[in-house]
Amino acid sequence: LKETSASPPPLLFLLSPHPPELCFSAAMPQTQSSTAASGGGGRLRDAFGGVLCAFTLLLIGLLAFSIRLFSVIKYESVIHEFDPYFNYRVTQFLSKNGVYEFWNWFDDRTWYPLGRVIGGTVYPGLTLTAGTIWWLLNSLNIPLSVETVCVFTAPIFSANASWATYLLTKEARGPGAGLMAAAILAMVPSYISRSVAGSYDNEAVAIFALIFTFYLYVKTLNTGSLFYAALNSLSYFYMVCSWGGYTFIINLIPMHVLLCIVTGRYSSRLYIAYAPLIVLGTLLAALVPVVGFNAVMTSEHFASFLVFIILHVVAMVYYIKGLLTPRLFKVAMTFVITVGLAVCFAVAAVLIALVASSPTKGWSGRSLSLLDPTYASKYIPIIASVSEHQPPTWPSYFMDINVLAFLSCFLPLSDASSFLVLYLVTSVYFSGVMVRLMLVLAPAACILSGIALSGAFSVLTRSMKFQRQTSENAGDGSSNALANSETASKEKPSKKNRKRDKDSEGSSPADHMTEEKLLVLPCGPAAVGIMLLIILSGFYVIHCVWAAAEAYSAPSIVLTSRSHDGLHVFDDFREAYGWMRHNTDVDDKVASWWDYGYQTTAMANRTVLVDNNTWNNTHIATVGTAMASPEKEAWEIFSSLDVKYVLVVFGGLIGYPSDDINKFLWMVRIGGGVFPHIKEADYLRDGNYCVDAHGTPTMLNSLMYKLCYYRFVETDGKGFDRVRRYEIGKKHFKLTHFEEVFTTHHWMVRVYKLKPQKNRVRGKLKLKPAGRSSSKANSMRKIGGKKNPWQ
Amino acid sequence: MAPRPHRHLLLLLLPLLFLAGALVGADDLVSELQSLRARSPSGVIHLTDTSVTRFLSAPAARRPYSVLVFFDAASLHSKPDLHLPQLRTEFALLSASFLAHNPGSGDLFFADIEFAESQHSFHQFGVNSLPHVRLIRPEHSTLAGSEQMDQSHFGRLADSMAEFIESRTGLEVGPIVRPPLLSRNQIILLGILFLISIPFGIKRIIEGETLLHDRRVWMSGALFVYFFSVSGGMYGIIRHTPMFLTDRSDPNKLVFFYQGSGMQLGAEGFAVGFLYTLVGLMIAGVTHLLVRVESLQTQRLAMLAVMVIGWWAVRKVIYLDNWKTGYSIHTFWPSSWR
Repeated sequence: LKETSASPPPLLFLLSPHPPELCFSAAMPQTQSSTAASGGGGRLRDAFGGVLCAFTLLLIGLLAFSIRLFSVIKYESVIHEFDPYFNYRVTQFLSKNGVYEFWNWFDDRTWYPLGRVIGGTVYPGLTLTAGTIWWLLNSLNIPLSVETVCVFTAPIFSANASWATYLLTKEARGPGAGLMAAAILAMVPSYISRSVAGSYDNEAVAIFALIFTFYLYVKTLNTGSLFYAALNSLSYFYMVCSWGGYTFIINLIPMHVLLCIVTGRYSSRLYIAYAPLIVLGTLLAALVPVVGFNAVMTSEHFASFLVFIILHVVAMVYYIKGLLTPRLFKVAMTFVITVGLAVCFAVAAVLIALVASSPTKGWSGRSLSLLDPTYASKYIPIIASVSEHQPPTWPSYFMDINVLAFLSCFLPLSDASSFLVLYLVTSVYFSGVMVRLMLVLAPAACILSGIALSGAFSVLTRSMKFQRQTSENAGDGSSNALANSETASKEKPSKKNRKRDKDSEGSSPADHMTEEKLLVLPCGPAAVGIMLLIILSGFYVIHCVWAAAEAYSAPSIVLTSRSHDGLHVFDDFREAYGWMRHNTDVDDKVASWWDYGYQTTAMANRTVLVDNNTWNNTHIATVGTAMASPEKEAWEIFSSLDVKYVLVVFGGLIGYPSDDINKFLWMVRIGGGVFPHIKEADYLRDGNYCVDAHGTPTMLNSLMYKLCYYRFVETDGKGFDRVRRYEIGKKHFKLTHFEEVFTTHHWMVRVYKLKPQKNRVRGKLKLKPAGRSSSKANSMRKIGGKKNPWQ
Repeated sequence: MAPRPHRHLLLLLLPLLFLAGALVGADDLVSELQSLRARSPSGVIHLTDTSVTRFLSAPAARRPYSVLVFFDAASLHSKPDLHLPQLRTEFALLSASFLAHNPGSGDLFFADIEFAESQHSFHQFGVNSLPHVRLIRPEHSTLAGSEQMDQSHFGRLADSMAEFIESRTGLEVGPIVRPPLLSRNQIILLGILFLISIPFGIKRIIEGETLLHDRRVWMSGALFVYFFSVSGGMYGIIRHTPMFLTDRSDPNKLVFFYQGSGMQLGAEGFAVGFLYTLVGLMIAGVTHLLVRVESLQTQRLAMLAVMVIGWWAVRKVIYLDNWKTGYSIHTFWPSSWR
C-alpha cells in the first residue's frame, strides 16, 4: 500500500514541466527582444513567466527529493550499504567533537594494530556539509539526530543538483531547455542509484558540486565577470573537498579552453574564465589534506597547467597583434615562434624526463585505466576486480539513463553549447570504460536531452500554432537571407555553417512572423509527434519511478524477499552488530572480511582489523590467510593480533548469494598474493570452486568453511546449501579452537569466540604454551613454524 | 684369494660407473638442447616425436633439466577464441626473456610441439584440448605425470606464465622484454617529422583553415564516440568479446544476441547503439533540417517516416532490454484503481 500511495506525486509531476516549458520557449524571445517591442503585456508576461518558472523549479526540487524516499518508505530511515556507515561515523564524531578534533582524528578502532588517520585521508566535503546542516538545524532548535540528517542529505542535494542543472542549461540554451533538463535530472536513474535517502556517500554532494562548477564556468565564459570566476574557484574547491572525481573537471575545462583556442575562439572572457580558476582553484585544492601537493605533483593536473601556459602565450599574441601593424606583427610572430618553440622544447624535455622517471608516468592506476581501457585488466587485477570498475554493456545504459540514450546524441548546433557537447563526449567515453562513471555521464545526458526535447517540443508546438500559407513562397527568400544575416551577426565570423538558432528569431514583430511561418511543419504530423514525445517522456518517468522503487532503494543492510506467503524481512546484520555492541567488551577486537569493517565499527563500535578503506594490502592478506588456513593456524594468526571474536556472513540457509563463501576465493587470492603458502589451486577441484563432496580437503578444513557450516546439518538434517544448491561436503565436525557464541535468526551472521589456550597438562605437552603473553608467542613460533605470518 | 676383493671392488664400481655414464649422458643432452636452442631466434626448441623420446622420455636421472612444452596445432590457428598464435608469440617472448636473464642456463628449456607432425607425443602426454602448456620437471617419471599449466596462467599472457615457472621451478625468469612497437630509428624519424610539422601546423591554425575548423569533422567525431560508447564497444575491447557466437546445438546458426545483462556480444551492442543514435539523429533532423524544407508533401512524408521508424526503434530497444535483463518495468497506480 505504501508503494502505490507514493507513486502519484511523480506521475503528476510528469506533465508539469511541459506547459511552462512551452510557455517559455515562446516567451523567451520576447524577453530578449523586449527593447524593440516592450509593452505592458510583455512585462506582465515576463513576470508571469518568472513566477511560473520559480514554481516549476520548486516542484522539480520536490520531485527530486521525494522520488528518493522510496527507500525510507519501503524499508526505514537507515544508512545504506558499507561506505555510508563510515561517513556516518565520521559525521557523528564531527558533530560531537568539533572540526578541529575531526581534522586531527586518529582512529584506533580500525586497522588494529595500525590505526588510521581519518582527518588526513578522507574527502571532508560530505561530512562537513552534513555536519553543518545538523548544526544549523540544532541551533534553530530543530532537534534532528545526526542519522536523520545523514539519511536525507543525498535527496536534498539532488534537489540542489537539479536546480544547478537548470542554471547551467539556461546559460547555454535558455530557460525552457533548463526546466526540461532539470526535470529530467531530478529523476535520472543513474543519479538516483547513488543518492537515495540513506545512501550517504560522497557522490551525493559531488554531482551537485560538479554541475554547479560547470555552471559557473559557463556563466563566466558568457559574462566575463571576475566575480563569477572567483565563485567558480570556490565551487571547484567544494568539489575537490567532496570527491576524487574532481580530476574530471580539472581536465575537462582545460580541454574546452584548448578547443576554443584551436578553433580560433580566444577571447578575454575565456581568459577570465580559466586563469583565475587554475590559480585560485589549485591553491584551494592544495588545502584539502587528502589532495595536498598532489594538486601540483601528479599528472592528472598537468594538462591544466599546460593549457594555462598556452592560454598566456595566445593572450600575449593577441595583445601584440593589437599593438603592431600587420607587417610588424608578422616579423614579431616569426621571432616569437622560433624563440617560443625553443623554450617550449626545453621545458617539455624537462617535464618528460621528470614524468618518465616515475614508473606509472605520474598517473594513478585508475586514471591510466581510463586512458588505456585495457590497462587495469592487464596489470592491476585488484582494480579490475571491483564490480564498479567493469565496462558497462548496452543494457546498463538503458537501465541508467533510459530514453536519454536516444536523445542525448542530438547535438545542438550552437556555439554556447560546445562545452556541453565536449562534456557529453568525454563522459560518455569514460562511462564506457567504467560503469561507475555513468554517474558523471548522467548530468550531461540530461542536459543535452533537455535541450533536444525542448527544441523538438518548441518546433512542434509552433507548427501547430502558426500554419504556413503555401502562397508565401515569394517572401521566403528575403526572410531567409535576413535570418541568416542575423545569425551571422550573432555568431563569430569564423562559423560559416548554416544553422538555425531559435533564440535569434525576429528583432521586429514582422520578421518574427515571417520566420515563424518559414520554420514550421505540417500541423497533423506535428500533433502526432508531440503525442509520441509525450509518450516517450512518460515511459521515461515510469522507468525512473520503477528503478527508484525496485532497483535502487534496497539498503542492503536490511534484506527483504517476497514469496507466496508474504514479505520476509531479514534484519540479521543489525541483530548481530547489536549483539556485539551489548555483549562484548568495548575493547574487544573483531576479525571479519574487509567488507564488514565499516559496519562493525559504526554499528557495533568494536575494533576491527581491516575495513573497506583497503589501504593496506598486507593486513587484508593476513585476514584472508587466516580465513583460508586450518583452524589451528588461523587461531594462531588471530590470537597474535589480539582478536577475540570472528564474524562470518553466511547465506546458505536463506539463499543470500553475496556471502563469505562466495567471496572466499578473493580471500585466498589476496592472501596468497602475500603469503605464498596459500595456493589457489589447493581450494579448487579441477579448476572449479565447490564446497560439496568434491571439495578439496584444504577447502573443507579451512576456517571459513568450518565457521560457516558449523552445525549447519542440524537445520535440515542434510546440509543443503541454498546458494550453491547442493549438499555440503563435510557435515559433522567439531571446532577445537573456536566456539560459537552467537548466530542470528536466519543464520546470516555467525559470531565465534577464540577459545582460550588450553591448560598445561603435565607430561602431555612437551612445549609449554604459557598464557597469552610474549612467551606464548615465542613457543608458538616453534610449534607453528612459518605458517603464521606475524611471527 | 686375490680375485675376491677385486670382484667386490668391481661390484662397488659398477653403480659408480653407471652413474658417471648417466651424468655424461645428461651433459650431452643438455649441451645438445643448448645448441638446439641457440638455433632458434627466441630460444624455443621445436620438438618432434623422436626428440620427445630422446629428451623427455629418458629416465629421470639422465635429465637434470625442466622443459616447458607448448602444444601447438597449425590447423587451429584460425580459431579466434583459442588465441593460439597470440599465446605462441607470448611463449616465445617468455623464452627470450628467460634467456636474456639467464644466458646459457641448462635448467629450463622451452619447447613446442606441433599436432600434425607429432600426434604420438600428444597422445603420450594425454593432451586432448588446446591451449595446453606442460612443465616436465626432472622428478616427473612419466610424461603424462608432468604438470599442466592452469588456464588462469594464460590470463595475463607472458607475465602470468613467468609466475607459474617461478613458483614451480624456483628459477627466475626476470622482466618480460617486449619488443617496442616502433624501433628506435623509427621513433627518432617520427619525432623529427613531428618537430618539423609543428611550425606549419601553428601557421595553419592561426590562419584558421585546418580540418579542426570544420564543424562537420567535430560533429561526426563526437557522434562516433557517442555511438561507440553507448553500444558498449569498450566492453568488447576490454573483454575481447566476439561479434557473434555459433549456436551450440546448431553449428550453422549464429547467435547475435546473448541473454543475460552481464555479457554482451559485439554485434548486438552495435545494433542497439545504432538504434540509439538513429533516433536521436532523426529528431535532430526534424527539428533542425526538416523545418527548412519547402515542400509540405516532403515534410509530411518525412515526418511520417521518422515517426514510424522512431516508434519501431524505441519499441525494439525496450523489447530487447527487457528480454536481455529480465526486468519487467511496471507502473505504480493507486490500489483503489485496480
